[in-house]
This record gives sequence, C-alpha cells and structure tokens, in this order.
Amino acid sequence: MPLIQLSGITKTYNQAMVPVRALDGIDLSIDKLEFTAIIGPSGSGKTTLLNIIGGLDQPTSGTIVIDGTDISSMRESDLVDFRLRHIGFVFQAYNLIPVLTAKENVEFIMLLQNVGRSEREQRSLELLQAVGLQDRTGSRPSELSGGQQQRVAVARALASHPSFVLADEPTANLDSQSAISLLELMEHLNHQYGMTFVFATHDARVIQRAHRVVTIEDGKIKSDRKNATV
Amino acid sequence: MLFRIAWKNVWRSKRRSGIVIAAIAIGLWGGLFASGVFEGMMEATVNSAIERELTHIQVHRAGFRDDRSISMIIPGADSVIGYVRHLPGVYAVTGRCILDGMASSPTTSQGVRIKGVDPHDEESATSLRKEIVQGFYIDTAKVNTVLIGRKLAEKLEVRLRSKIVLTFQGADGTLIYGAFRVEGIFESNSSQYDQTNVYVLRRDLFALLGSPMIHEIGVRLSSELFVPAVQRSISEKFPALEVMNWGELAPELKLFLESVDLIMNIFLGIILTALLFGITNTMLMSVLDRVREFGMLMAVGMKRRQVFVMVMTETVLLSLTGGAAGMILGGGTIMYLRRTGIDLSMFAEGMAHFGFSRILFPTIHFATFPILTLMIIVTALLAAIYPAIKVIQLRPASAIRTYL
Repeated sequence: MPLIQLSGITKTYNQAMVPVRALDGIDLSIDKLEFTAIIGPSGSGKTTLLNIIGGLDQPTSGTIVIDGTDISSMRESDLVDFRLRHIGFVFQAYNLIPVLTAKENVEFIMLLQNVGRSEREQRSLELLQAVGLQDRTGSRPSELSGGQQQRVAVARALASHPSFVLADEPTANLDSQSAISLLELMEHLNHQYGMTFVFATHDARVIQRAHRVVTIEDGKIKSDRKNATV
Repeated sequence: MLFRIAWKNVWRSKRRSGIVIAAIAIGLWGGLFASGVFEGMMEATVNSAIERELTHIQVHRAGFRDDRSISMIIPGADSVIGYVRHLPGVYAVTGRCILDGMASSPTTSQGVRIKGVDPHDEESATSLRKEIVQGFYIDTAKVNTVLIGRKLAEKLEVRLRSKIVLTFQGADGTLIYGAFRVEGIFESNSSQYDQTNVYVLRRDLFALLGSPMIHEIGVRLSSELFVPAVQRSISEKFPALEVMNWGELAPELKLFLESVDLIMNIFLGIILTALLFGITNTMLMSVLDRVREFGMLMAVGMKRRQVFVMVMTETVLLSLTGGAAGMILGGGTIMYLRRTGIDLSMFAEGMAHFGFSRILFPTIHFATFPILTLMIIVTALLAAIYPAIKVIQLRPASAIRTYL
C-alpha cells in the first residue's frame, strides 16, 4: 500500500466569484522511502497539491489517503492532530521560533505531542547530532546561518516520528554550499533512517537529486518520471 | 514551555513592550496615588471626627438625638461610666453635660453647643487639648473659664482673657446666664465645628444648673476592632440607654469611608479601560508581525485553542509586568508619603471647611492590591480577545507564506 495515495483530487477556488481550478483530477501515489520532487511553474498548482498532501488544505473532490487514513474529509481539529503525528514540515523560510534555542525548537513538537521531558531532551539532542548541529544546541535562530537554521527545521520535522517529511522549497533561501549540504543531509536521512521526503521545488539541484520527479502544469500531472541521473 | 514561550515573546520587541508596560505602570501609579490620597483624606476625616468629639461609642438616654432638651439626662451616669471604664478595649470615658445655647460678646452673638466636661477625661478621650492654638487647656483650679474655637473667636471678635456670656435654658425653662473668661482657643480640622462648640468645666455648668446632669458619655477604644463587643456589652447591661457607634452617629462618614474603595476601584477601572485599548493595539501589532510564525505553529500541529491561550498568556504577562511596576511605584510612593505627609497648607481654609487635615497622609488598603491584580488580568484578557481571535482565524497554508 502506498504511503500517500491521491485519487481524483480537484481543488477549486472562488476568486472574485470566478471559480479557478487549481488542481484538476490528480492521481498520485508515493511509496515509503521515496525521495520525490514535485515541480512546475508558478501557478501550476504545486503549492496547492503540497498543502493537500500536508493536510493544510482540503480538496474540493477526490480522496487522499495517508498511511491508510483517509484525510480528505477529516475535521479541522482531527487534521491538526494528524499533521502533528504523521507529517514533518520543512518550510522555505525555516520558520523556527525565534525566542527558542535550536534544542527547544526541536523539543517543541514533542511538547505538543505530550512527550515526557527526558525523552524530549534526549531525542532533540540526537536529532541535532544527526543534522550536524550538536555544538549549536543552545543557539537561537538569529545566531545560526540560513543553512544551519534549515538543518534545525529538518531536525524539528523529524522530532515527531512522522510518516514522511514535506519540504516546501527548502533550498530556496540558501546559498549553493548550504543547499548541497542540506540535500546531502536529507539523502542521508532517506537512506540511513528510511525517511520519505516530498519536495515542492524549482531548484535544479533538488530536481537532480530527487529519485522521482512529478511535473505539474495547469493543475494536472504533466509527467511523472524516475530520475535516471540518481 | 508554552508559558516560557509566551514570556519570551513579551520581550521580543523590547521597545514596543516597554512602551505599553510603561503606560500601564504610569497609569496605575497615578491611579494608586490618587486612590491613596483620597483614602488617606477620608480616613483622616473619620479619625479626626472620632478624635475631636465623636469617640468610638456614645451613650445617651433613649431619644436624646431627637430631643436635646436639658431633661434628657442619663440616669445613674456615674455607674454607667464606672461600668464602661472597666470593659476590655476601653481606653477612656468622658461624661458630658450638653446644652444648646448662645455665646455673646459685646459685639455679636452666635448659637453654640455648650459642652461641660471633666478636663482630664475629655483630654484622654478626645484630641481637644492638642487642638489648643492659643492660651491654655481648661484649668480645674479656675472658675468659669471657657475654651472656644478660633472661628468663634473671630466671629465674636474676642481674644484670650476676653469675657463672653453663655446663655442657656435651665431645667425649669428659665434662662440662665453665665460670664466665662476665654482661657484657650482651639482649632480643629473643621472650621464649622470650631464656630459652634465651646467647652467649659462640667462643675461650673452644674453650679449654674443647680444639679449635676450628664447627657452624653463618650467612649474611646484602643482599637476600632473593640467597637462591636463594647457596644453590645453596654447595650445589654443598660437596655434603656441608646448606645451607638461612630458609624451610626455619623452615617455620612461611614458611607464615605465604605464608598471610597468602591469609588477608587471604579476610578482604577476607568484607567485600565483606557489602557485596554493600548494593550490591544500592541498585541495586535505583535501578532500581525508574527503571522508566518503562527501559520507554522498551526501547520505543525499546534491547536487553535493552544495558540489562543498563548496569545492570552502573553497579554496577561505583559499587562501584569506593567501592573506590578505600577503597584510597586504607587505603593512605594504612598508608603513614602505616609511617613512624610503631604502639606496642603495652601488649601488650608478650603480643607478645614470640609473637615480635612492640612497634612495629608495617603494610605492604601492591602486588599487593593489583589483586587487590582485581578482587574489587570481581566483587562488583559479582554484586550487579548481581538488579537487572539485574529490569530486563530489564520489559515496555516496561507499564513506560512506571508512575508511582511
């Protein structure tokens, strides 16, 4: 059974009373351990698709099943809980809590899950070590570089033991070196820990390293190919 | 950790939080100071009335307050005084012969209440001796001496050693005249009182009346706390007599004192209501600056209820910080001025007309602080509602992509 299964997904927005179809009959399956990039030009529906996969938005029609659970008609409060327990998020602008240290940012997700203090502390330190920031656990986001902040964001995404990590343009704000380093880290987590990654991206470096590239245009899947270069 | 995040968020924009904290602190400082002055003024007025002549408890023959005729004497006054003197909490007891009459000088006359007192007992029970500003207190060795208020002295155009004539009705209805020499002039906080009351030796009045007669027994207690017990004890022992405490004797004073707290709480409430809008504005700016962050929090699994509580907590912490600063400032100012006093001599005449002291000692009840803390929390919660609702109305998907 695929980890993520989208069937006949449509999403229509009513902008100024004119319906705009952002997604038009998307069928997509993503298996565990995949390292998938969703690409497409601006306005293609890439972000809408990512929001729907991430449970941040609900489709107008169609079903989305994640890890065996149909979330397409889930109540808002249940979706929040589902996101907390099944999906890790990495955002373009890192979106760390600026008043917390790197360790506290990672711990925060586990706090929302009511994980005990000692387990929180231990896991946050392990994750920061896994992303190579064991010596910056007490640093606030403002004291870290963009690349380091995004690494903390990756550690935070993994903190909740998610089924997969959804990364929205994770390298867009990073310089080349940091971007490559981050991609290597994600690949490592994919190989070493079996973590599934789904990216929305424009970045050629990400596309080049993705195992699978799904191209969206005008709300439809234009192509879905395995990446031969990987 | 939510509490810690909220606390850290308060200090995220130090300048913005600092301004609103300063506004709350200064507002409360001003409110508390005004409250302290007003409470001090009312407390001084009540204490002054008790010390001047009211005492804590007065005993009369039933109906005396409606019919102040000479015949309304307290039967067996000496035994009543003897009994009261030995009750626990009683500091002093004074028996007074009270007659309404006229004080006349060669130039004019003034209606007065003539109080025949035992100088020693009256000195213990009231502040009369301390209020002498010219001349001397009543001397038992002298005959027919009188203490008059400064205002009466001015009205009658008399000075120390001048003679005035006191006229009053005897028990049989005849007019009795007595010439008295001004031995001392007193000045209390109330100019009205000073103009309408004179003190003479009780013995001199008894001589003019032909027999001893006590109309009023004033009881001064070592503490206000003894009032109910002493009042009850006298009433039970002498059921035919009318035993009233100061609050019953001067209900307007009691009402003033009781309403001070209410008025001051309303006053502070008005200040806090004004501050409420400032707090709302600050919190609104704060949350609008963090739309993306709130979007992230909700996206990763923070429930809207938790986000709401976090904004509320931030607002309460911000407001309580300002509130604590205001209470420390206000309480400190009142404590300092309670020691030094505020000299209001420049308004002395107007103050005296209303029975207020020239030196004001601000005071504040300890109970004000928990009430005020509660009011601040309520204000903060009200102020936070709008910003918190704005936050929980955000859609995480779009909030995450908001760039300000």
